[in-house]
Amino acid sequence: MNMIEVKNLKKSFGDLEVLKDISFDVKKGEVIAALGPSGSGKSTLLRSLIELEKIDGGSIIIEGNFLCKDGKYPPEKKIAAIRSKMGMVFQHFNLFPHMSVKDNLICAPLMQKTAPKNELIKKCQALLDKVGLIDKIDAAPSSLSGGQKQRVAIARALMLNPDILLFDEPTSALDPELTKEVLNVIKQLAEDKMTMIIVTHEIGFAYEAADKILFMTDGYILDYDTPEKVLKNNSNERINQFLNNVI
Amino acid sequence: MELKQWISQMSIGSLLTLKLFFATIFISLILGLATTFLYTSKNKYISKITGFYILIMRGTPLLLQIFFVFFGLPYLPFIGKYLVFDRFTAGAVAFILNYTAYYAEIFRGGLLSIDNGQYEAAKVLGMTALQTKFKIILPQMFRVSLPAISNEAIILVKDTALITTIGLTDLLQVTKTIVNRTTNISAFVVAALFYLVMSYILTIFFKFLEKRFAY
Repeated sequence: MNMIEVKNLKKSFGDLEVLKDISFDVKKGEVIAALGPSGSGKSTLLRSLIELEKIDGGSIIIEGNFLCKDGKYPPEKKIAAIRSKMGMVFQHFNLFPHMSVKDNLICAPLMQKTAPKNELIKKCQALLDKVGLIDKIDAAPSSLSGGQKQRVAIARALMLNPDILLFDEPTSALDPELTKEVLNVIKQLAEDKMTMIIVTHEIGFAYEAADKILFMTDGYILDYDTPEKVLKNNSNERINQFLNNVI
Repeated sequence: MELKQWISQMSIGSLLTLKLFFATIFISLILGLATTFLYTSKNKYISKITGFYILIMRGTPLLLQIFFVFFGLPYLPFIGKYLVFDRFTAGAVAFILNYTAYYAEIFRGGLLSIDNGQYEAAKVLGMTALQTKFKIILPQMFRVSLPAISNEAIILVKDTALITTIGLTDLLQVTKTIVNRTTNISAFVVAALFYLVMSYILTIFFKFLEKRFAY
């Protein structure tokens, strides 16, 4: 089953066309790594999928429901319902600085009354345990390292049981050592068969953890295939040039 | 003896100073927050009108505004007869209108300091606009605004002295009377100490708040 279908997606910022004609599918349990040079539109594409950016044309279908049909959006209520199937992790974590780690995790599900508070706290403990931060449950975000913040952000996204997780350059603000601890958590999620799209510059990680690489330049998808094919046996000059520059 | 008498008279004058201070700070903090929302509203007209109000309030002297409310408003055609205030109310209205504009700008600065990522995180976590505002944005806005709120509060304590000009007997007016009566200007020093103590208590109070809400 297709978790995400994107058809002929177009998006401009003013006169600048950032996404020109994007179509691709993501199946259940697939891990997609989106690669490509800066400004190629990867982040904008990711943000469009969860309606942080409105697209100008084309369709986005999430688990069979139109988030956008031929450039037209349904009413906000419907959008919110579709958005709730997805979680997102940001480059700069975006934890709520005035709340403890625990409150960061439970505040949204508490507002939506998805479960009683004691159950949410149990779940919060289990997820923090999973990302290796159970001892930080009462800590303030400002006391955490970048890697720890990002792991809290991942746990926070998981609190709402998303079917799909979107990562927007989750390790770009981290040093190599901290990058590893975050990537390990993402790999663990991949083993749990979470459907994920990860915008990243970590080629090694993409090769290892992704089922498919979505390679973008200048608002187009240049290639969308297995890491083996895209990263090892590619005849495309632009992709090889990019790989030569980064490795 | 004399000093004791001064202090008791000045304490009574200080009551009026404090009354004006508390009335102004409570009401203008609340109205200031509301004004910020109006100013940052998506409706262009509401935003423009609010901007004009802030321009007038910040662009003209507070003393002139006090005179205008007390002496000027009753002369307005049609509505003037409903705008005749006693001295204290007139002073308080002018102070509140003025400080509301300043607090609105302070809160707006606090809002601007909040990273867009906070709104985006709240959105992808399924929070409504109202939940985002009250649980995520406002607490951070208040925290960021605290030093500026504190600064403005201390200015307000001293600004209250302006109401002597419409004949109210606040701390400064009492002091002036004492100086006139005794021809001893050291009463001014005692009054200065009164203002200093009030400002100092405020400073400590806001330091405490800043610590309490630190993150």
